[in-house]
Amino acid sequence: MGDVLQQITGAIVAIVVALAACVAYFWGSNWMLDRFLSSRKVTGDAETRRDHLRDSIRPWLFLLPALLFLSVYLVYPVFETLRLSVLDKTGSNFVGFANYAWALSDNNFQRSILNNIMWLIVVPSLATAFGLVIAVLADRLWWGNIAKSLVFMPMAISFVGASVIWRFVYDYRGEGDVQIGLLNAIVTGFGLPPQAWITIPVWNSLFLMIILVWIQTGFAMVILSAALRGIPEETLEAARIDGASDVRIFFDIMIPQIIGTIVVVWTTITIVVLKVFDIIFAMTNGQWDTEVLANFMFKWMFVNFDYGRGSAVAVVIMLAVLPIMIWNIRRANAEQGTR
Amino acid sequence: MKINMMAAAMLLGVSFAAANVQAAELKFPKGEGAFSWSALEKFAADHTDLKGQTLTIWGPWREGGDQEMFQSVLAYFEDATGVTVKYGSSENYEQQAQIDAAAGSSANVTILPQPGLLADMASKGYLTPLSDALKARVEAENAAGASFVSLGTYNDKAGKAEFYAVPYKSDLKSLVWYSPDNFTDAGYAVPQTYEELKTLTEKMVADGNTPWCIGLGSGGATGWPATDWVEDIMLRINTPEDYDAWVKNDLKFNDPKVIAALDEFGWFAKNDKNVDGGVAAVGTTDFRESPLGLFSVPPKCYMHHQASFIPSFFPKDTKLGTDANFFYFPQSSEHDLGKPVLGAGTLAVVTKDSPAAQAFVDFLLNPISNEVWMAQSGFLSTLKAANVDTYANETLKGEGSILLNATTFRFDGSDLMPGAIGAGSFWTGMVDFVGGKSAKDVGDEIQASWDAIK
Amino acid sequence: MTAVAEPAVLTDAPAKPYRSSWRKRLNAGRVITHVLLLLLVALWTLPTVGLLVSSLRDKDQLAVSGWWTALRPSESLGVTRIGTAADQVAKDGHFVISGNVFGADTNKQLGGFGLTNSTPGQTPPGGTMPMSDGGTLTVAANGAFAWTSDTQFTHTRGPRVFYLAEIAPRFTLDNYYEVLTSNGVWRSFINSFTVTIPATIIPILIAAFAAYALAWMRFPFRGFIVALVVGLLVVPLQMSLIPLLTLYNQLAQLFGAENGKTYQGIWLAHTAFGLPLAIYLLRNYMVGLPKEIMESARIDGASHFKIFTGMVLPLSFPALASFSIFQFLWVWNDLLVAMVFLGAQQDKLVLTGKLVSLLGSRGNNWEILTAGAFITIVVPLIVFFALQRYFVRGLLAGSVK
Repeated sequence: MGDVLQQITGAIVAIVVALAACVAYFWGSNWMLDRFLSSRKVTGDAETRRDHLRDSIRPWLFLLPALLFLSVYLVYPVFETLRLSVLDKTGSNFVGFANYAWALSDNNFQRSILNNIMWLIVVPSLATAFGLVIAVLADRLWWGNIAKSLVFMPMAISFVGASVIWRFVYDYRGEGDVQIGLLNAIVTGFGLPPQAWITIPVWNSLFLMIILVWIQTGFAMVILSAALRGIPEETLEAARIDGASDVRIFFDIMIPQIIGTIVVVWTTITIVVLKVFDIIFAMTNGQWDTEVLANFMFKWMFVNFDYGRGSAVAVVIMLAVLPIMIWNIRRANAEQGTR
Repeated sequence: MKINMMAAAMLLGVSFAAANVQAAELKFPKGEGAFSWSALEKFAADHTDLKGQTLTIWGPWREGGDQEMFQSVLAYFEDATGVTVKYGSSENYEQQAQIDAAAGSSANVTILPQPGLLADMASKGYLTPLSDALKARVEAENAAGASFVSLGTYNDKAGKAEFYAVPYKSDLKSLVWYSPDNFTDAGYAVPQTYEELKTLTEKMVADGNTPWCIGLGSGGATGWPATDWVEDIMLRINTPEDYDAWVKNDLKFNDPKVIAALDEFGWFAKNDKNVDGGVAAVGTTDFRESPLGLFSVPPKCYMHHQASFIPSFFPKDTKLGTDANFFYFPQSSEHDLGKPVLGAGTLAVVTKDSPAAQAFVDFLLNPISNEVWMAQSGFLSTLKAANVDTYANETLKGEGSILLNATTFRFDGSDLMPGAIGAGSFWTGMVDFVGGKSAKDVGDEIQASWDAIK
Repeated sequence: MTAVAEPAVLTDAPAKPYRSSWRKRLNAGRVITHVLLLLLVALWTLPTVGLLVSSLRDKDQLAVSGWWTALRPSESLGVTRIGTAADQVAKDGHFVISGNVFGADTNKQLGGFGLTNSTPGQTPPGGTMPMSDGGTLTVAANGAFAWTSDTQFTHTRGPRVFYLAEIAPRFTLDNYYEVLTSNGVWRSFINSFTVTIPATIIPILIAAFAAYALAWMRFPFRGFIVALVVGLLVVPLQMSLIPLLTLYNQLAQLFGAENGKTYQGIWLAHTAFGLPLAIYLLRNYMVGLPKEIMESARIDGASHFKIFTGMVLPLSFPALASFSIFQFLWVWNDLLVAMVFLGAQQDKLVLTGKLVSLLGSRGNNWEILTAGAFITIVVPLIVFFALQRYFVRGLLAGSVK
């Protein structure tokens, strides 16, 4: 009782203190910069120099807290991972690239790479496509917002919830028993034998992907819907006056107009896919050839406790993201050029 | 919005905190029944200087299952010493234990069922060695004490063998569960030999019945129930020495002796007529749901091979001994190998030394710590001083006697193997085996994964 | 928080008027649109509906029949063991053992009963069967049985009676009751709020300042930092657990604390893990704000600090709200970070952890699974629906240039 109140008070105090600290830091540091590097009392070259100095320091003041957090919580672990990936199981002896060599020769690793490629193709494409279709359809109907909310709902469901939900879909009971899984009930309804869906290699990966598509479509839909609303009405009107069909308008006008957003959505979902772990862990744990990199890494890290190999796999995951990073650097630089 | 939620949370806190007060009541009043109260008194007298200390324990028993049992045991420790115990567990307790050990935030005492994992932790220097006096007590005070000493002895960081782990709570794996009524109604008799068990299986199929319920599903650990089958069969058709060599990989996983054991398991499980739901259901049926087939009308199966903990998952009103019973997974008559018994159990290690931690390890060797749990549910004790009259029912007593009468006792092999095998490729291999791969292919694959970690 | 929530800012970028022009084209195409969307929505909702229906069903029916059959009465075969000689009472010169084959269950109707596994529905309700232990047994349609004999019963093992029962469809809140009354659930609710609310609020300002710098200020390495932020989005979280926990424990030792598992620690961890997404989203949004306003403000001599606090922050409210939703959902639904940085001791368990531990050793209890899963979903859904209107508009104005 007492400690519950204390805990709640603690949380409230923490919110107040954290907000106050943020305000104090941003306001205070900014004030000090203007105060101590003021150009009021100097003139000419000195004034310009001070102006420049202030301008070059200020962005870093804005960025400092974020960079500190990112360095400690994410950058440092990345370097730690790189270091561990060339050490042995216990992290004490240098083994060079042996962990990477092992990974390349390991059956399950190869299987994971293949599966990950499948995931990377299927999930972002399907989620984006469904999201786009639903966004376009929903924007045209009076009950569109209700529809969108329902489609978005899976985003709010914890993985504990999602895995239970899908067990009711994929559940398998022996032939002749009453099926309580929806999919098998449909199949047996057509007089076909029930299938143990998550045990049939290749197809089972697809069934797991459907779960992620189910979750991510809501995300794609919300963002694409916002983008669609940004298309100038005149453009659409003009096309309509020219007699273009809805389908033509969709492909020739809407998609080119929002292609930028589509790419962002696709990228974000790709990143989610590379990190996908919960679904595999809870549904199959990589059995029946469903292994993916993130789960494979987790196994070597926290089941086999071979930090070297676990880290090597993690590095591979990070390498897989390199193209996305490079693409983003390019995009960021291009933007910088135009401004 | 957020402030509102906070207010709501606070309200809930106020109204429910009152119901949340945990009474640290003692389950059995001191001085009554067949319990060894004098041992508890002596223990209390020996540890009078611990009052006010806190002891953290991390273990495998979770809520809704055995956590309440363990907590009822802890209450006696708290009562005797004045120490406050904080117990924790989670779904992935083994991983959590390792993460905490690596990061330096271990509990004082960690209890795990895998000697293989403990050996790994010892080699990384996460465990505190126990005294020679304690080691001598473990050997002297337990049935099969020498084997428990070797189970708890691992190499430390420098490669020196030290004694680390005290056994607490055993499970018996060589059991087959059945419904005595169903056996009587159908005219089946409990088989006395492994060969009779196979004949019975064939007879049931011939009668149009389904003999076995086998479920390997266990979330992330899917496959493990099959490892118990294979280990039990290993002990029926190969010598204990072969078994020991096998868990150390001196006997290769693709050795004909091991392949033969796999194929024996395949004889039971890889036949649509032998298992409820057909072979396809074996891999996906949850091990916790699997035994329910024994109790359905008409029965979906007549036998279920599983360890002594499984009655927790029987339907709620099942009376052990009446509605369900077990027989010993029988020894072979062809191979003269005595009465081998496969078991498992949890071992306690000190992961962060403190006087209270040492006292707790001592407490685990005190008969009271065993008896309090024995008197409630599935706890088998190997402690000689623990009074068998405190067992909650005849079933437990019967299991206890199997444990004591075994001519050969062997610990669950998959728990002794390195994690990558025993909690990795062995499981996956069994799932693949049931899924259709040949024993040879599976043996080769597991052996290859073992070679890869050497 | 409250400063940015002034109603005035909600009216920025007014939503486009409803596209009446689409409406005019009412024809076969519109019908198809309705049907298609309905179909997609049904597909997306069906699995969750299944869970909801299941969670409201009787726990005995839950695992034996599909949720879509919930409205139909189901038939099931059952078995019960009736009393031994110890339960008999003498009445009018007879000896009677009585009770109900359904126990306390009242929504079952007897379809028939029998004495062996293979003949469970042999005798109709009200019928009589001779018993091997002597006397006769009759079972009424409501399950009440009477086993009557002229001689005293002596058996010690109650015989089994098999029956065919019709179970009326029944919906109940029992499953929820069971989960909500289990020890410590409410504490876990509070813990989840304690973790989630600060972890949602703290990153907002930090991310907003950084995003502004990356969107509107010129300085060296800007492109690199943007790329870094995107790159960090994909760092597998699992990698950072051990290094960070080690760091925490060393800090804890420095301050003499028991270990590094504190609420402060988990707030900061969630803050950091949420930052890449926050910066990425907010920067995208801020880049899209009209350049002209910024430039004219700059020409008027306003400092970056003023522009940020006076204009950008209020204008970014929809984006901030969107991020808050994401962060709230993520932190609320998180299990891994909470387990590692807060621990699984009873008094620190968050709701997801609590439910997993409820399931953990009782994996076959579907009633706990279903009701529990729904309980975890409720809070995020409330948050989502409450903030949804900012969400749809606010998320990505940035890339819609």
